[in-house]
This record gives sequence, C-alpha cells and structure tokens, in this order.
Amino acid sequence: MKRYWKPLMLSFLVLLALFPFAFMLLLSLMSGWQFPEVLPAYFGLKNWATIFTSEAGLLQSFLISIIISLSVAVVTTISGFFISRVVYYHPQSKVLNVLAYFPYILAPVVFAACLSFFFIKLGLFGNVTGVVAAQFLIAFPYALIFFSSFWNQKMKSYVDLTATLGGSRLQTYTKVLLPMAKSMLLVCFFQTFLISWFEYGLTSIIGIGKVQTLTIKVFLFIKEANYYYGALSCCLLIFPPVVLLYFNKRYIFKKIV
Amino acid sequence: MFLEVKDIVKGFQSEHVVKALNFTLEANKTLSILGKSGCGKTTMLKTIAGLLDPDSGSIVLNGVHINDKKPSERNIVYLYQEDLLFPHLNIFENIAFGLRLKKLSNTVITERVNHMVKSLELEGQASKMPNQLSGGQRQRVSFGRAIITEPSLLLLDEPFGSLDAGTRKRMQVLFKKLTMEYQITSLFVTHDLKEAVLMGDKIGFMQKGRLKVYQSKNEFIKDPDTGVQHEIAFWDELKVNSEQN
Repeated sequence: MKRYWKPLMLSFLVLLALFPFAFMLLLSLMSGWQFPEVLPAYFGLKNWATIFTSEAGLLQSFLISIIISLSVAVVTTISGFFISRVVYYHPQSKVLNVLAYFPYILAPVVFAACLSFFFIKLGLFGNVTGVVAAQFLIAFPYALIFFSSFWNQKMKSYVDLTATLGGSRLQTYTKVLLPMAKSMLLVCFFQTFLISWFEYGLTSIIGIGKVQTLTIKVFLFIKEANYYYGALSCCLLIFPPVVLLYFNKRYIFKKIV
Repeated sequence: MFLEVKDIVKGFQSEHVVKALNFTLEANKTLSILGKSGCGKTTMLKTIAGLLDPDSGSIVLNGVHINDKKPSERNIVYLYQEDLLFPHLNIFENIAFGLRLKKLSNTVITERVNHMVKSLELEGQASKMPNQLSGGQRQRVSFGRAIITEPSLLLLDEPFGSLDAGTRKRMQVLFKKLTMEYQITSLFVTHDLKEAVLMGDKIGFMQKGRLKVYQSKNEFIKDPDTGVQHEIAFWDELKVNSEQN
C-alpha cells in the first residue's frame, strides 16, 4: 500500500510545483479572457510575436537584462576570485569578511537610496552603467564570501609547492589555482548572474525607469493589469536561468559530486 | 660545502623561532633533523626554501648566495607532510608538473615520467587520478614529482608522518633508493628517532630553535638530550624483564 502511494504522491507534488509555470505559459498565449468566459477570446502566438515589435519593448528589455547580468556576473566572479585572495592574506581579513555582509543588512531599496547621491554626482543615475555598478555592489560581496572558503592553509601550501617546483606567479594561477577553482568559478558566475537577473529594488531606483530590465518590465505589466504580457515577460525571465541551470547540472555539479 | 647555512635567525613578532642556525652539508648527502613539534623545524625549512624571509643570516647553495632569490629560482623543492597532489591532474601529469613548468619537450617529459613511474613502482597507475590511490602511493607520486625536477636541494618536512608503520618502512627504503639513483642532497625533518637514524648520512637535533649537528651517529647516540639513551634503557629494561619472566 505504501509503495503504491509513494509515486502517486510524488507525481502530485511535481504537478503542483510545475502548475504555475505551465499556467504562466498558457497565460502568455492568451488574450481577452474575461469572467465568466470559460475559454479565452484568443489563444495563439500573437503575444509572443510582440517580442519582435517595438510596441512592448520586450526584446530590448531582454537584451538589456542579458547585457547587465552578464557584465555583473563576469566582473563580479573575476574580481571576487582575485580580491578574496588579497582579503585572505590581509592581516585584518576577519574584519574585512564581516564588512562584506554589510550590503545584506540593508534592504536593496534602502541601500539604493543611500547610494543615489553618489550615483547622481558620478553621472550614473538612469543609465545601464549605473545599474551594472549598483548591482555589482550587491553581487561582489557575495562573490567575496563565496570564494573565502577556497583560500585556506592547504591552498597556500599548493601555491608554495608550485613556487618551489619552479612555477611563476602566472603559472601558479593558470596551472593550479584556476583549474582547481573551476567549479567554484562557474557556480559563482551562475549565482551572481541570477542575483543580477532578478534584481528589482536597486535597479528601479538607480535606473529611474529609464533602464527597463525584464524584471522591471514584469512589474510594470502587472501594475497595469496586463497579465498576458506579464506572463510572457515571466517566460522570458525564466528562460536564461533554466539554460544556466541545465549547464550547471550537466557539467558542474556532476564534477563537484 | 654544497649547502652552507650561516647565522640564520627567524622570528614572528617578538618570538625567535629559529635562533642562530649554522650548519653545512655535502652534496648528495642527507641530513636528518630530529625535533619535537614546535621546535622550529618547519620554519627552518621554509626559510631555506625562500618561503619565509630570514631576519638575518645567509644561505649559500653550491657557492651562490640565495637569500635574495625567489623560491621559484632556488631549485629547492619543499615537500610537505601532506602529499598535495593536484586533484585535477592524473598521476602522469602530477609527476610531469615540474617539467611542464620548465617547458621541456613532450618527448623528454614522457620519457622521464615513464622512467620515474617505473622507479616508483607505480606501473599501470599513471592514468589514474590521485583519489584512486592509497596514501603510500600518493606519497610516492609526491616524491617523484619533486625528484624528477632534479632539485639542488630537497627539503622534506615529516614526509612519512601520516603513514602507517608498514608503508612508512617501505617509503624509507624507496627514499634511500631514489636519493642514491638521482644523487639528491636533502634535509629530512622528522620527530621519529629511529627514522632520523635510518635516513640521515648526518644527524641533527633541534631544540627550542637551535640546531646541533653531530659529527657522527655515535656522538648523536651518546648525547642524553636526543633521547636515544633513554630509548636504549627502555628496551634493555624490557628485555631483562622478559628474560626474568
């Protein structure tokens, strides 16, 4: 009896978890679904076709989001890796590690409000560079904390051993540290990409509506009760993380395990 | 003398860990250094390897002052107690690591690594990853990786400390064989009395940052500080007791 219920229960839970995604996809294909109608007035690819028109600006938002998130993830992962090493060897490394948690004490909106004065002065308000810089300030401490576990006494021994075997500083990085950190670098890239991709509070304040990322677009459509476009932008919003998750699962987690 | 260490002092903050270190060593010989934990053995080795800067004193290797040379330019390999095999490289590539850093040709690398694999009695294991080997095998690879680069000086920091008694004995024999075959000059640090006597052509005893190198094994055995007399007395007493029973 127990063996009979287990797969059934599991299937039900899977269906329950997948339902919102399936319904969102269906919603993105509809329009004119008014109560008490059982079926929508239209069901087809009309909404999806608007991605390629300038009317909704979804393609533009999608591309801006990709550019911002890729920039944040690449810069954060690389700088986080190298700077975390400097932090590890710093005499005040413990204090610096505690300071890295500072941006997470404040809500992103409050953090953005604190930063806005400096961003206005630097001419970074309302443009893509400003949003990248703001998101970097959130993602970078994450990378710093993430890589802090990589640097330890054993890693220092590997570095020293490589030096006594005749390795230069560059060779230590290319032949030892980077290959050993490969999985962590990829996971960090994935995580910081997601932090940036779904970021709303900072982006809305620093971007002041001029930088319309996909996340901002979703909220705009929902605010104006345009559920069909909202669902459509949500589908676009989910697409890159799903692709990254697939690659992560296939190529990275397998190696870590 | 091949290695001359003169008046080396090394301290951390106000504490002197290594005090006025003075000794010499001939080429192709092993100086085994006995000492308890915390007596300054590791600091001494790291200073000679260039991983730590001495506060004062000089190190001359093969007639050249090496104090100002970087660790990568000294041709001194420092081996840890841990094998520290690179987890992303297989056994062949781990052994070839130092040769690849020197950018030797693939033909030379393959020839030398295959010979080393044979010397280490690791035939058929070259394509395996480090996690597929036993502790003793890993330590052998670690040796091979260091020796294949033909270092001027090999520094061993309790290399068999984590091995069981049987494996340790086999490793001691292998080490003797390899140092003879590759004409290695080495400093062998250990806290095991028997190992110090077995491995060294000369023996030193380190206590509270000071190193005393003995002219002969007899002198080392007779010195009450080394603990050899205490050890002999213990075994003699045990022998007498067992004969009486």
